[in-house]
Amino acid sequence: MDLSIIVPLYNEEQNVAPCCEAVRESLSATALSYEIVLVDDGSKDGTFAAAAAIAEADAHVRVVRFRRNFGQTAAISAGIREAQGRVIVTMDGDLQNDPDDIPMLLEKLEEGYDIVVGWRHRRQDERMRVLISKIANRIITFVSGVPVKDLGCSLKAYRAELIKNIPLYSEMHRFIPVMTSMTGARLAEVKVRHHPRQFGQSKYGYSRIIKVMLDIVSIRFLVSFVRHPGLWSVGASLISLAVGVLFLGLGALEAVLEETADSVVMSTIGTLFVALSIVLFAWGLIGYLMVANTRNHPLTRLSIVSWNLVDRSALPQGSQHVR
Amino acid sequence: MSGEADSLVQSSVVRLAGSSLGPGSGAERGAADRLGTSAAVDLSVIIPVTDRYDDVETTYWSYKRQLEQSGLSFDMTYVLVGQRPALQSGLESLNARGEPIKVVTLADWFGEATAIAVGASRSSGKLILTLPAYLQIDPAEIPRFIGSRGGFDLIVAARDRSGDRWINRMQSKAFHWFVNRLLGSRYVDLGNSVRLFRREVIEEVKIYADQHRFLPLLVERHGFTVDEVVLRQAEADRRPRLYRMGVYVRRMLDIIVIYFLLKFTSKPFRFFGLIGLSIAAIGVVSALWLGIERVFGGVAVADRPLLVIAALLIVLGVQAIAMGLIGEIIIFTRSAGTADYWIEKTVKKDDEKSTPV
Repeated sequence: MDLSIIVPLYNEEQNVAPCCEAVRESLSATALSYEIVLVDDGSKDGTFAAAAAIAEADAHVRVVRFRRNFGQTAAISAGIREAQGRVIVTMDGDLQNDPDDIPMLLEKLEEGYDIVVGWRHRRQDERMRVLISKIANRIITFVSGVPVKDLGCSLKAYRAELIKNIPLYSEMHRFIPVMTSMTGARLAEVKVRHHPRQFGQSKYGYSRIIKVMLDIVSIRFLVSFVRHPGLWSVGASLISLAVGVLFLGLGALEAVLEETADSVVMSTIGTLFVALSIVLFAWGLIGYLMVANTRNHPLTRLSIVSWNLVDRSALPQGSQHVR
Repeated sequence: MSGEADSLVQSSVVRLAGSSLGPGSGAERGAADRLGTSAAVDLSVIIPVTDRYDDVETTYWSYKRQLEQSGLSFDMTYVLVGQRPALQSGLESLNARGEPIKVVTLADWFGEATAIAVGASRSSGKLILTLPAYLQIDPAEIPRFIGSRGGFDLIVAARDRSGDRWINRMQSKAFHWFVNRLLGSRYVDLGNSVRLFRREVIEEVKIYADQHRFLPLLVERHGFTVDEVVLRQAEADRRPRLYRMGVYVRRMLDIIVIYFLLKFTSKPFRFFGLIGLSIAAIGVVSALWLGIERVFGGVAVADRPLLVIAALLIVLGVQAIAMGLIGEIIIFTRSAGTADYWIEKTVKKDDEKSTPV
């Protein structure tokens, strides 16, 4: 199978049918074999019934129903496990993404990229939300060193073998591009269309900002740790030790010169840095112990390249790039 | 976990009914057959025995009479936590009279939740009912309790406390206020040992040590449905109870552990990172403040305790951050192959029907 489209759904009763219809329409222009995996993330409205009805009628569509709401990462993760296509596309079930962009993503992927992410360059959301999202993207770009303009866009295409290897838990889905790109996967960003919401409620909350910031710190750390276990913290530990010893030396010197007051200050600062260096060193060692037996962890195997994922002739000629 | 739990079980598992089966009456033989063949019964009753227990004879007979009222076929398993010779001889004497009970002894103190897990792995009922080894609810309520499961995966009993002593009520109130506040739940009697659940629940949700109290919360996390059913409190349960200080401390720790488990298992850095960053930030700000005053105000620093406090806070903060990141490594390196979601069913056209997973 060429293509699996994963659509996580949470309380999108009215959007399910139009969404599937739109995908079908966009892909009927191509000769690609595809499936749609609808993941109902424990919706409380009639989403599951609507989705199941579509699945009964259309052999392209499958539905996975969660026991309760487990969040978007879990939904995407379940969809990926279920998917059989060589290329996996994720998109929102709220019709804000446009399935007409999918052939374009595939074409880009086929140029030799591992991940193609959508960039909603004309977002149709509240201004405040767009602004906060932009700032968050800047910070993430800065911390990770991966230049992604729009991490929040759900419309993305991946090589299946790559995405199936990525550990997905907590709320990691947001960081898939960053994580894989940091390990050498080739990432492309293309402009995609974005529509205002027609039905239902947005599930956006501002409380996630701090969480996202904490998460990006751990991702940055994890990726560097998997590659060079202990390097970072042991390095910091040595610097800290040097600074600490320097201050302790100054403290001792001043004690000799009977500058008691200055001596106390210098010794305290020296002790601080020595203590820090011990903490950092222990941290590096323990971390090393933990990844020592997992050198073959999926993340280190992500940069494998394979070509010709999609039969080029199956794509419509000259599919439109959005400008 | 069940394998682990099994290894904790003392090698000399006593299986009383099977061994001393003589040419008894038909009823006894029938009962023993039920036990021996371990053909699936409707209901497996598990009675974990820890510190608190009443006279074996009293509880056994009052439970048995009521269980028979329910009209379900059942077997009973006592799981002794730690060695209890007196109790064991009581159970042996019951068995000598042909009562169909199974006894499993955990060699040491492994907690009530472990006992329940072990009991469940050694019984066969499609439904599992846990009962305390003492009278907590009026046994006459058991048939009604069993009947009130409805479509729920787990039901827990809640004692009607109206006749209870104020000291018991107060302790329970405080405990539940705290738990419900912290975990956003709405339980009124988590300390109740009377629970009824489908076998699938205990096979999927692994519990150990003292987690039995939080079983409803852990079960809800998997997406199972839970309900509380109010039952009449047993007369004997209304005695005023006060525990040693250590018990309250342990209970407090249990709550914190469960809180962490439910909220941060897959994202430890959100917990430790936030704590560590705040502590370190306070330390850095204090240190900066000291520096500014020293440079621009000419205030001497050496005799100010804030200097030491700032240094301490920075180290503490970095340590907490380090803990969180180590937690992240643990989760990350173990995340492959584990799922933190549970699927109810999948629908495909080729299957025709929905298949529960």
